Amino acid sequence: MPEKADVWQGTLALMVLKTLEVIGPLHGYGIARRIEQTSGDLLSVNYGTLYPALLKLEQEGYISAEWGLSDNNRKARFYRLTAAGRKQLVKQAREWEQTTSILDRFLSAAKGTS
Amino acid sequence: MRPMRAWFVRLLGLFARERREQEFSAELEAHLQMHIDDGIRAGLSPGEARRQARIRLGGVEQVKESYRDRRGVPVIETMAQDLSYGFRTMRRSPGFTAAAVLTLGLGIGATTAVFTVVYAVLLRPLPYPQADRLVYIKENLASGLNFFSTPREYAAWQKQSQTMSQLGAYMWSRATLTGAGPAERVICGAVTASFLELLGAQPVIGRVFRPEEERAGGESVALISYSLWKRRFGGGAAALGRTLAVDGKNYTVIGVLPAGFRVPDRYSSLKERDYDVWVPFGFNPDAPVAQRNVIGTTAFVLLRAVGRMKPGIGRATAQAELDTILQPLVRKGRTKHVVLVDWHDEISGGVRQSLIFFLAAIGFVLLIACVNVANLLLSRAAAREREIAVRRALGAGRPRILRQLLTESVLLAVAGGAAGLALAYWGKDLLVAFLSRNLPVVQPIRLDLRVLGFTLGVALVTGLAFGLAPALQSSGVRLMDSLKESARSGVAGPSRYGLRNLLVVAEVALAMMVLIGAGLLFKSFLLMRGEKMGFQADHLLTASLHLAESNYPTPRDQSRFFQRAVEEIRGVPGVQWAGAVDDLPLGGFSFGGSAEIEGRAESVDVHAPAITPDYFRVMNIPLIAGRGFMDADRDGAPEVVLVNQSFARRAFPGENCLGKRIKSWNHKGEWLSIVGVVGDVRGGAEEEVKPEMYFSYLQSGRSFMYLVARTAGDPAGLAAAVRIRLAAVDKDQPPDDVMSMEQLQADDLAPRKAHMLLLVSFAALGLVLGAIGIYGVVSYSVSRRLHEIGVRIALGAHRGDVVSLVVGRGLLLVLLGELAGVAGALALNRVIATMVFHITTTDPLTYAGVALVWMLVGLAACYVPARRATRIDPMAALRCE
Repeated sequence: MPEKADVWQGTLALMVLKTLEVIGPLHGYGIARRIEQTSGDLLSVNYGTLYPALLKLEQEGYISAEWGLSDNNRKARFYRLTAAGRKQLVKQAREWEQTTSILDRFLSAAKGTS
Repeated sequence: MRPMRAWFVRLLGLFARERREQEFSAELEAHLQMHIDDGIRAGLSPGEARRQARIRLGGVEQVKESYRDRRGVPVIETMAQDLSYGFRTMRRSPGFTAAAVLTLGLGIGATTAVFTVVYAVLLRPLPYPQADRLVYIKENLASGLNFFSTPREYAAWQKQSQTMSQLGAYMWSRATLTGAGPAERVICGAVTASFLELLGAQPVIGRVFRPEEERAGGESVALISYSLWKRRFGGGAAALGRTLAVDGKNYTVIGVLPAGFRVPDRYSSLKERDYDVWVPFGFNPDAPVAQRNVIGTTAFVLLRAVGRMKPGIGRATAQAELDTILQPLVRKGRTKHVVLVDWHDEISGGVRQSLIFFLAAIGFVLLIACVNVANLLLSRAAAREREIAVRRALGAGRPRILRQLLTESVLLAVAGGAAGLALAYWGKDLLVAFLSRNLPVVQPIRLDLRVLGFTLGVALVTGLAFGLAPALQSSGVRLMDSLKESARSGVAGPSRYGLRNLLVVAEVALAMMVLIGAGLLFKSFLLMRGEKMGFQADHLLTASLHLAESNYPTPRDQSRFFQRAVEEIRGVPGVQWAGAVDDLPLGGFSFGGSAEIEGRAESVDVHAPAITPDYFRVMNIPLIAGRGFMDADRDGAPEVVLVNQSFARRAFPGENCLGKRIKSWNHKGEWLSIVGVVGDVRGGAEEEVKPEMYFSYLQSGRSFMYLVARTAGDPAGLAAAVRIRLAAVDKDQPPDDVMSMEQLQADDLAPRKAHMLLLVSFAALGLVLGAIGIYGVVSYSVSRRLHEIGVRIALGAHRGDVVSLVVGRGLLLVLLGELAGVAGALALNRVIATMVFHITTTDPLTYAGVALVWMLVGLAACYVPARRATRIDPMAALRCE
């Protein structure tokens, strides 16, 4: 899994942002679980990658963090999407869609000719 | 924008680390707990849930580490860590640190000292406005390159040149200064007003010359040096307007030049560069070259001309133009062409080669120091192998270890650099004092920012250079092997020895090369000092004296003065004989010309000193045939000459030359009979013997003579008495210098001696460092082979066997190094050739001697650890397994 970390970095940020948009403020563990569930347990989030990614988003000002209580009354650090983060999410999602559609077209075209 | 913000936050993250660290621990802890809660909820036992959560999370420390990397700026943090770790390591092993810092300090310090001089003399631009466009005008004659030009030529360039924005000229001569104090011999510069402008001279008080003051017949004004101002006028403004007499001619002081203001001139000695009086150069361009010049003596008025090219004009263009202007002035049948050289190059040209040579030599020594420290680091790396293996096991990557080791070595180098800087501070003064006669110093030689930058750069580069190999090696350690290996077990891998041995060989080779160079210079110096001069130099006092022609206008007056002076000196108690000559061996300059031989077509290049009758007796120059001069050979009597053996051999091979007649270029055009032959005399240790013909001074007056006296005791002790006697003849005609011949001889050899001593001290440094290197490697190998040696002794090896085992290996390295060094020296032999005289650069005796020295040093360096090896108690060595 650690070998995949680099490939993950870009998309992981997008997933985090999207998760926070959908669920609202959430702690690191929750974000990881949510991503894994959403992927149908195809993905396994590496925590050594997740926390630095969260920190990066926080440093860039896309998310903010504060301490709160979890469902079962545990003190946890909750991350929340900022206004800048919302804009960034829209932008990144569009870029991602564009990339995937290009790749899609490319792959289907390549399939067609072979 | 975002990345910027992120960087800003990260930089902030360098602070308050403690709090963030705790916060993240708490966050991770919460994470873990939630995971466990989920596990329990899913029906796992609490223990199993905890186990799975932990597995899933991975190494807590690794997660924290990657979080930390993102939080702050890892490069800076790592460096701070490495630095503090490095400091701790240095403190923990003070012996190692001291050895490394000292070694590097010596190397870097010596290099910095040499660079300081190189920078001031060769690299730093001249301290004049637009210095890069200043050029010096030389003339290429059929016989070689001349560094002066005539007033006529200068005037033509001045008038016609379009490529030069400014031209200036200067010359100097010794002169007698009277008025406002006792008579004093000074250096008097005669310069054009434009020359001072060219140098951007700003007077301390008063003003500099105006162009109209240049012309002959203008008001006689003079500038004085700062030191003369202090000396004679007490540094007061009252000096302006005072009158000084230079060689009997009056000048009004109009200004004082700043302290240390001097004309950089390659062709005069240090003392001759400090002009005390400056007068405007009022020449008459149409007068013959040998004319009565401003200063009042008849002399060759030879100008040194400097110009500033207009912006955008290349040197080739300017040279072509000045040459075109020159051509109409060149006499028919002769060739003369202008050669423009960069003024800075011209000034430093005499020392450029030797300075670069020394910089290279000291660079070798620095390399040796680096190799030494690399070896020290290697030994230490072996001891730290386990530490590094542990660090790697704890998750430090190879780059991280490499960076840390390099930080440590750079730290050492910087500490060494600081020590070196202190050394350089004193060293450069020593060096300047050493080389002062050779250096055309225009500006102060000091440690400025650029030199500091150089030192820092050298320190960093050396730190990387000596640290890289050991760091690469120890960071590449195979984890399991070294963790398993007990610290002192067995023999280390062969590759490690290989590198260390290679370093020692390289070190010996480098040191050998420097030592060979030093040996060659040393031998060359000895040969030069042992060179037979042809006269007896001890117990000889000399005094040079110029007569002011305003006071002694005719040859008869001059002759009378010197005859009286010689008589006075002969009367000094302790003086045995006294005489005079106008061209003293080692006197510093001599004029030559050609002599015709009666009945022959070809002429002989000769030197033609005029002497008093007792001169040969004073100098102890043997009379080979015929007679010497007598008091009867004076004005009115038939003129006669003496020649030296070289002349006789050259002009009359196999013949008796007595009675033959010759004619010299400087003597009225009469045929003169040879009445005697005397022994050859050398003009200087580096000079070949030249054919000479001697005139009787009584038959040919000169305004300049050296007075020489053979003394019973120490000649220097009689200097004061000689000065007093000369003042009695004419108090306004003091001698320039009163020096013993041995002093002159020492001065003649001083540049060579300085070179030799400098290289010898470099070589000594290399020798010491190299010896330390060999010692280090051999004693390291002994300490690693304690076990093996113990076994050998236990099995009955004799002390001699052990010694020869250890020493043999060490000497093999030295031998290999020597071979490489000899090869290197042979390859560089052309470079050394420029520095030595009288011997070839492949002088086998020197090479053999140097090789022997290195063998002995190597033997000594190996023997100490070898002896230690013999004292190993086999039981102890075996038990420590």
